[in-house]
Amino acid sequence: MKTQLRNGLQTGLAFWLISAFLFLIGFTDTAAVLFGDIIHDEDLRPGFGLTTGMVNMLFFLGLLGIWAGARAARAARAPGEALAAGIAAGLVHGLGVGGLAWLVGTLHESKVRMSTYLAQLLPETIQLFVLEKAPAEAAAWHFVLLLATGFAGGLLGFFLGRPGWREAIAAGWRQLSSHAGSLSTLQRIRASRAFGPSLAVLGIIVLFTLPLRLDQYWNYTLGTVGIYVLLGLGLNIVVGLAGLLDLGYVAFFAVGAYTVALLTAPAPHKLLWSFWVALPIGVLLAALAGVLLGIPVLRMRGDYLAIVTLGFGEIIRILSRSDILTGFTGGPKGVLNIGGPQFMPRLFSNEINFLYLILLCVFLAIFITVRLQHSRIGRAWEAMREDETVAGAMGINTLQYKLLAFAIGAAFAGLGGVLFASRNQFTGPEDHNLMVSINVLAVVIVGGMGSIPGVIAGAFVLKGLPEVLREMEDYRIVLFGALLVIMMLIRPEGLLPSSRRKLEVHQQDPNQPDEPIRGRL
Amino acid sequence: MKKFVPYLTQKPISTYHIIQIVLGIIFSVYLLWRLYQVFIANPTYGPDTWARFAISGIVLGSVYALIAIGYTLVYGILFMINFAHGDVMMIGAFGGYFVFEALSFVPSPTPANPEEVFLNAHPIISVILAFAVGVSVSALSGYLLERVAYRPLRNAPRLVPLISAIGASIFLQNAAQLLFGAQRRDYTNPEQITRGQGWGIPIGESTVILTYTGVLTFVLSILIMLGLYLLVKRTRLGRAMRAVAENKSTAALMGINVDRVISQTFIISGALAGAAGVMWGIHLGLVFHFVGFLPGIKAFTSAVLGGIGNIPGAMLGGLFLGMVETTGPAILGIDFQLKDVIAFSILVLVLIFRPTGILGEVLSEEKA
Amino acid sequence: MSKRLYIVTAVLMIASMVFAACGPTTTPEPTAMVEPTTVSEEPTAASEEPTEPATGGEPEVCTSDAFGCAVIKPGQTIKIGMGGPMSGDNAAYGIDSAQAARIAVSDAGEFNGFTYELDAQDDLGTPEGGAAVANKFVADPQIVAIEGHVFSGATGAAMPIYEEAGLVMLSGSATNPGLTQNGSKVFNRGVFTDAVQGKFVAMYIHDILKLTKVAIMHDSTTYGQGLAEVVRDELMALGTEPLLFQAITPGEGDYTSVLADVASKSPEIIFYGGYAAEATVIVNQMDQSGLQDAILFGGDGIYGTDFIDRTKENGEGMYAASLVPPASEAVTAYNAKYEAAYGQEPGKLSPYSWTAYDAAAVLIQAIESVAILGDDGNLYIPRGALIDTVRGTKDYQGLSGVISCDETGECGSSGPVFYVVKDGDWVEAPK
Repeated sequence: MKTQLRNGLQTGLAFWLISAFLFLIGFTDTAAVLFGDIIHDEDLRPGFGLTTGMVNMLFFLGLLGIWAGARAARAARAPGEALAAGIAAGLVHGLGVGGLAWLVGTLHESKVRMSTYLAQLLPETIQLFVLEKAPAEAAAWHFVLLLATGFAGGLLGFFLGRPGWREAIAAGWRQLSSHAGSLSTLQRIRASRAFGPSLAVLGIIVLFTLPLRLDQYWNYTLGTVGIYVLLGLGLNIVVGLAGLLDLGYVAFFAVGAYTVALLTAPAPHKLLWSFWVALPIGVLLAALAGVLLGIPVLRMRGDYLAIVTLGFGEIIRILSRSDILTGFTGGPKGVLNIGGPQFMPRLFSNEINFLYLILLCVFLAIFITVRLQHSRIGRAWEAMREDETVAGAMGINTLQYKLLAFAIGAAFAGLGGVLFASRNQFTGPEDHNLMVSINVLAVVIVGGMGSIPGVIAGAFVLKGLPEVLREMEDYRIVLFGALLVIMMLIRPEGLLPSSRRKLEVHQQDPNQPDEPIRGRL
Repeated sequence: MKKFVPYLTQKPISTYHIIQIVLGIIFSVYLLWRLYQVFIANPTYGPDTWARFAISGIVLGSVYALIAIGYTLVYGILFMINFAHGDVMMIGAFGGYFVFEALSFVPSPTPANPEEVFLNAHPIISVILAFAVGVSVSALSGYLLERVAYRPLRNAPRLVPLISAIGASIFLQNAAQLLFGAQRRDYTNPEQITRGQGWGIPIGESTVILTYTGVLTFVLSILIMLGLYLLVKRTRLGRAMRAVAENKSTAALMGINVDRVISQTFIISGALAGAAGVMWGIHLGLVFHFVGFLPGIKAFTSAVLGGIGNIPGAMLGGLFLGMVETTGPAILGIDFQLKDVIAFSILVLVLIFRPTGILGEVLSEEKA
Repeated sequence: MSKRLYIVTAVLMIASMVFAACGPTTTPEPTAMVEPTTVSEEPTAASEEPTEPATGGEPEVCTSDAFGCAVIKPGQTIKIGMGGPMSGDNAAYGIDSAQAARIAVSDAGEFNGFTYELDAQDDLGTPEGGAAVANKFVADPQIVAIEGHVFSGATGAAMPIYEEAGLVMLSGSATNPGLTQNGSKVFNRGVFTDAVQGKFVAMYIHDILKLTKVAIMHDSTTYGQGLAEVVRDELMALGTEPLLFQAITPGEGDYTSVLADVASKSPEIIFYGGYAAEATVIVNQMDQSGLQDAILFGGDGIYGTDFIDRTKENGEGMYAASLVPPASEAVTAYNAKYEAAYGQEPGKLSPYSWTAYDAAAVLIQAIESVAILGDDGNLYIPRGALIDTVRGTKDYQGLSGVISCDETGECGSSGPVFYVVKDGDWVEAPK
């Protein structure tokens, strides 16, 4: 019993901090809006002086309460214990959040402007949180809600945690499906040889006709996702296949972008070359930059390589922004009026056509990556990634292959940069900051290192999803950071990893005492 | 008789060494020529300006040194770069900020001035309080950071905790932005140590001001660094930390609670960063969510410069980097805009050519 | 993947590319601009009519207009986009302009049953942000006009994008002279340019303050550097050679070494081209860098409550430029409305409250003069006509003065007024 109570108290405390944090960053507002969008309960008239927004917010808090109770009851062996844990958690959680509501409400009533210090505590947010009632009443509401949900959560957690019910459902499902005959039609289709290729063809047809049906905005978003897939594939080669952690990847992106910018824009050099000429030049220059960057860092590994590449990336950004190079790079004002691709006599910069160009490049990149992976080069990279010393001993010229990885990865980045700058018709030094490198790295890592479907999934999740969830615009980056940590804790191999990578990540280090890697939320 | 050195351990003179030496010579020559230019042939600055540069550099350097020690401590034990260290400093800076703000509203009337606030009436207590809060908050953050983001990943391949650290850093920065807003805030110093005021020392043609805040920062840093050095060398905890840094499993066999020592290390490193953050706020005045990024990288540069894992090295590296940043553009004749480029270039060059740092220990292949 | 799959993929890709290239073009071919047609307003009673099947009510002008028509369906809002810094150090400017524009939008009320909406997006005041926001706005068919952007750098980067899409721009705060000198047809501004501001600044320093040892610093942004360059050129024309012209990097905490460098030349006055955020840091660090006796003079980017709050005593005696609207009933009414809605007098957050209001109001008036209500209940707004109408604005009585646009897009009238910090507040500087 004591452990249950302790679990309950600890969990309650942790969840109280989380709820308080969410309130202080203004997320209670956003959650209310989000739930409203999902449930579409605008016509609900809940009474009790509550608006639908408040109901949604309370719903959100209630879910947190249930989670708290469920987590508190994780070690319970009997319903009674689970209840005790849940109630303990709910008590602490409720007291904490209720107390916060009372405090905030009282301060607000005394006309203290909290938003000077806590930027998200605008009057609307505070009013929503205290349910537009007196502080004491609001506190009571929160307390009762969280206590009740903690109680419910405890029970729920207990019953969900019990082994047996999941197997029962699975067995039932199997029974049902096997009734339909030895091999159902679905299973037969799946097993056939034409399944994979025909699915791919179908996918490609859909992908190519889709842009014609979507509006400008979605085409633009898909284009951005596509460019990040391209970048991700490039970094995938460097990080995923060759195992070199590059945090300065944006430097190659910048080379490609600035090449097309300086060659096709009227200022600062008045060259006005064609986009199609600038594109291969950009890619080549980026590859060259990759080689140049690779040479000094050849002998480094791990963290040091990461920092050095980060340093290089920042140096390039600061230089491109500085006064001395303004004559060459356009300085902090950036380069305007970057030329677009012309196909037949027409200017190409329409979104749909650009999207096709991007798709074309992505397919090219996928093609190259797949062929590389299954070639001698790819195998050499894998060997280097697993153990460099042994690979060297087996006769692989690690230096050469590292440089090749850098060059090819950089070429992809350069291509991405060319497309990006041309589509934006503008580029400037702040477009090439550290966050871009980190975003691409996240696409690769979260998607699944070394795996192409993983990179695509990563790009969609990290770049496409925020566009869909527009209400969460403000929280995008904070969620991104939290996502990185959470992914590393629960699924470090990524969303769609290659099977090899999955094995690698979960390998135990023989020198360390056994410790599970998987954390728990 | 010549000492017998096994053939296999003789390092051949590689191209790397040659490039290193050549570049070193070229740079030294250039430096000497510039020094000559600036001081003797064509003096652009009077001694007062140089004094100002030097003072700026030393104060800045001592702040970098404090943060660098935190990096070094963590790297020495876990061999991982704590990317979120700069953000722990930011948290400490905010902690101090709020204390000063709060105290600037607490009335404490004196006979001389009925409008007086606590902050100005009791400046020493206020400063102590600010430091106490800043240090505790960041120590706590360091502890939580380790427990949540690093401990579960101790056995994972190197890349995984690194990504986790990057994620934690991004999370902390943006959480701070959401919580406190994106605008920069200024520290409300007690009147007695208003920024920019200090002892005037006539040097050369004008008076050079040795600011109160600058002196405070420098003196405090030195004291803290001395204290830390004593901690590591003389106390049990220090011995335990050194043991864990040497070899975790052996230390565990010797009865050291490795997990606890690691937590304590993070707490100490967080506390140092917090102190640095409060000092940054008091001296430079600016605090905002992104304030930890550049100092974090520069502090890391200092740690590497001094030899990562080496505490006196980190201190010296920090002071050196601070001086180079302020006097570098003047000496090298480049624009002041590029002082960050100097810092990054040092980082890159040191890592490429001398990863062991100036005072560095010889790192084995595994550690590098 | 099998070889066959590759071939199929390749064929499909090429086929779709050709198909898209030869297909109906959505990029407009430039034709002669159409004269704006005056529309008789038909007062319609119900606005939210259920959509009847479109009876082909698109007016002729839409097909002949170079950029086509924006179509606003019943129930949709007429959107005006605004790009400005809404977060970060310069948030005060973006927020102030957005607030002013919102008042203008609510003042405009309904038009044929359609309401206006201000879509204010954060472009961080940077060129990169401006381009990103511009690309977003251009993809939104409900946006018919752009107020902005607020900062010159962002405006410059966004302009070509709007130019190509045919979205008219009217900025109440982007002062860089170069913006109207590149032949843009869509960009207009209702505020003085830095060419004017710089000249006035130089004259003030030379004639009224009578200071000769001038150092010039700037933050390398389009606005800051542009203004600093004008001041430098004007000072040289007046016979004063600036002691130095130094760029700084915004965002650093420690400018003491740069300032020590400046101090070694013993200037009496430092002109700073840039925004309040850096200016406050500089002012706070001037004393300890040896510049105790120098004063700081800034442009319109420095003026505001931010500067005073953050410099406290160090800011005493520093100068900045701002605009003062000529006193009128309309201005008093507006000031009251602003204060009631936002709890602060206008002109405190930034100098641009009034020009921002005017910009929105002019845009709305132009929209109303070219919009055509189709038989199907949709509102058709010919974009090309709108561009011409805004450019042709003459003698519009705005809060900040009379707004008349010349052929390059300069519409503003009043010049800058200088303010000095005295006892913790901005007071008009002696003429």
